[in-house]
Amino acid sequence: MKCEEVRTMLPLFLYGELSFDDEERLEVHVDECAACRDALARHKAMFTSLDAAEILPTQDQLDDCRTELRQRLAHVQPEHASFWDKIREGFSVHFHFAPGLMQPIGAVAMLVLGFVAARMTPGSLLGSFHAASVAEPVTSRVRYVEPVSQGRVQIVVDETRQRVLSGSVDDQSIQRLLLTAAKDPSDAGLRVESVDLLKNQPQSAEVRRALLYAVQHDANAGVRLKALDGLKDFADDPETRQVLTQVLLKDNNPGVRTQVIDLLIQHHSNAMVSVLQELMMKEDNDYIRMRCQKALHEMNASVESY
Amino acid sequence: MDEPELIRAAQRGDQRAFEQLVRLYDQNVLRLALNLLRSPEDANDIYQEAFLRVYKNLHTFRFDCSFHTWLYRIVTNLCLDALRKRRVRREENTVVETSEGFLDRMDTVEEARAHGDPQRQLLSRQLQVRIRQVLGELTPRERAVFEMRHYQGLRLRTIGDMLGTSEEAAKNCLFRATQKMRAALGDFV
Ligand SMILES: [Zn+2]
Repeated sequence: MKCEEVRTMLPLFLYGELSFDDEERLEVHVDECAACRDALARHKAMFTSLDAAEILPTQDQLDDCRTELRQRLAHVQPEHASFWDKIREGFSVHFHFAPGLMQPIGAVAMLVLGFVAARMTPGSLLGSFHAASVAEPVTSRVRYVEPVSQGRVQIVVDETRQRVLSGSVDDQSIQRLLLTAAKDPSDAGLRVESVDLLKNQPQSAEVRRALLYAVQHDANAGVRLKALDGLKDFADDPETRQVLTQVLLKDNNPGVRTQVIDLLIQHHSNAMVSVLQELMMKEDNDYIRMRCQKALHEMNASVESY
Repeated sequence: MDEPELIRAAQRGDQRAFEQLVRLYDQNVLRLALNLLRSPEDANDIYQEAFLRVYKNLHTFRFDCSFHTWLYRIVTNLCLDALRKRRVRREENTVVETSEGFLDRMDTVEEARAHGDPQRQLLSRQLQVRIRQVLGELTPRERAVFEMRHYQGLRLRTIGDMLGTSEEAAKNCLFRATQKMRAALGDFV
């Protein structure tokens, strides 16, 4: 290894980013060459100076950032909730989302997906220019321009595409999009509408799983109620009953608990008796207590002891 | 809750899980933005925009890379955009001319931190200025790779992933950055 080569490799050596072989050869050379040893020492000194030039954020700065972020996050949700409203306004001429029209078979779902396409890579702009990819998006905005060399310029364009997809609700790809939308954490309105469309397809195992998931985990009670609606024909399915039992004992929304009781008591069982008895111990909603008592009476089970 | 659990909870709309997730990384995000942009206001803007984007797009995170990598893709893209915009506007440095001569908006930040750290006090004023100058002369990508390797201690392979490029390309950026720095700082050290 020549001195010149060693010198160019010193920074990567100090960062531990040389290959095993290169590192080995460099160390051997530095051991024997005083000039390169000196160069290495100077490089280390430069690194130390650079270390000291780092700016560390103060705790106050970090706290300010966190406070501002919390305030901003509080405003993100409402902004998104209007998403479906806008879409419905835009397309109400052609499509009606009224639930009555949503028949399980032959129903048509329309989704408008807005997404920001990946930024054009600089490479593709410097090489052959694809006119088609620029003409296609709905909106594109020049983000910045940068001279690259004599007579050449690099332009980065942000593209926002909206694609309109329409198809039957039982179409696989439409269903997949609905399943994704049904879990969108930032938009409860979108989740309600998606679950509302999906609930007519509970015969699909994947849809049923999504409904069960929503009933258990969705933060929005409206979404949970829609999902329950879709599960009403599965009141005798063991997995569904198991999930609903947990929901009954845990859900903090009385509307949800009421609907779950209505579903569960369609089928009498010993397991049901003990669930209802457990619920009686902690339920504070009078209407639910009453339903619970009535159901226990019908099952000839004791209420008084609880 | 461990990180994947926090991510899943946040994906389900759990605000507190999201905040906990933010706190695993936000100090380093702010540090990176502050060092790259050398402006507390701009660093705050990057912080806000990055975590708002994470919040809005978390449902698209599919665990096919680490969350750290995913987050830093967003952060570095925002930082690079900001650096490039500055270049276009020719506002690279933070030095502003006032009636009292040149003032550096970062001085207050750096001096406030210098106390109690002997190494920082030893660093001569002149060298500080020179380092700042040479950092300003690096291209945005060289700058980003250098900050991520030198200050955040990330491996070049990870940096390549975060910047959407190869390990080799990241290595070349780092190489050019250190060459430029050695040329500029050689007399000082
Ligand atoms: Zn040598």
